Amino acid sequence: MIAAVATLIIGVILGYLGQRSRMCFVGGIRDFILVRDTYLLRGLFAFGLTAWLAFPLVGLVAGARPGPFAVSDAATVLFTVLAGFAVGYFSTLANGCPFRQHVLAAQGVKSSISYLVGFFAGAVIFHSWIERLLLRLLP
Amino acid sequence: MATIAGSASRNSKQAGAVRVTALQLGIVAGIAAVIAGSLLEVRPPDAYGICMACHGRDLLNWTINRIAATHLTIAPASLVFPVLTTIGVLLGAVLGSKTSREFRWSSPDNSLKTFIYGAAVMISALIAGGCSIRLLLRSAAGELLGLIGFGGMIAGVALATLWLRWRATR
Repeated sequence: MIAAVATLIIGVILGYLGQRSRMCFVGGIRDFILVRDTYLLRGLFAFGLTAWLAFPLVGLVAGARPGPFAVSDAATVLFTVLAGFAVGYFSTLANGCPFRQHVLAAQGVKSSISYLVGFFAGAVIFHSWIERLLLRLLP
Repeated sequence: MATIAGSASRNSKQAGAVRVTALQLGIVAGIAAVIAGSLLEVRPPDAYGICMACHGRDLLNWTINRIAATHLTIAPASLVFPVLTTIGVLLGAVLGSKTSREFRWSSPDNSLKTFIYGAAVMISALIAGGCSIRLLLRSAAGELLGLIGFGGMIAGVALATLWLRWRATR
């Protein structure tokens, strides 16, 4: 229950700030390559750096830190790198990361609403077929 | 490619509209993600504080499980009651666009195309174990696999950008 309330509140804050700042977590890399614009890229760096610093600091308070993470086999590494590649590739073609698409959908962009419908259809497709296939392929 | 940075719409001309930079959002999101994951029970798995793909999947599967008594996969963090990041972000963005009068119905892209991209991104994100946000969050938490996925994502963005540019200048 705490998690649900916390994510709802954090979601509202990030949704609001995301709408005001036009933040996109893939757009920064794209803009830098295309026009050497660093506006969105700064947001990406800020997020990664802040989280990297906050994990050990909050860990002092919480008494628990992430990890140690399990050692991965070669197949998992391969799937992760390929799937990560696909996340970046298709997000760029779609003109924004999933977070940006949520924000756009909420400000009336119909193609982003259709993106979200596809997004959730993708979850159903994954758990209906692809997950089973992967479990057979992975050791 | 209508949404390249530097488009006129970046700085809202609406008087009184709150201005937030991407840098500021990045800092807030970084702190919020860590606090949610470490202090507010958005775990396990680790580094699960913010993820647009996994959290959306949790909410969808939890709802389907309740309605149809199925047993679709849910992260342990969402077993009793699902994480509501998806709803929160949508509400927050409606609030932001309404208060700044930026809300307007439009359809700048082909909806069938974006539907397919949406499905492709969700499927790949669930295989990689996170959307663009959580891949970076896992990297920040020190998970090597997350860093590998994030590296793959950067390569994917770079290649897609170069392909878009090549297609535009051909």
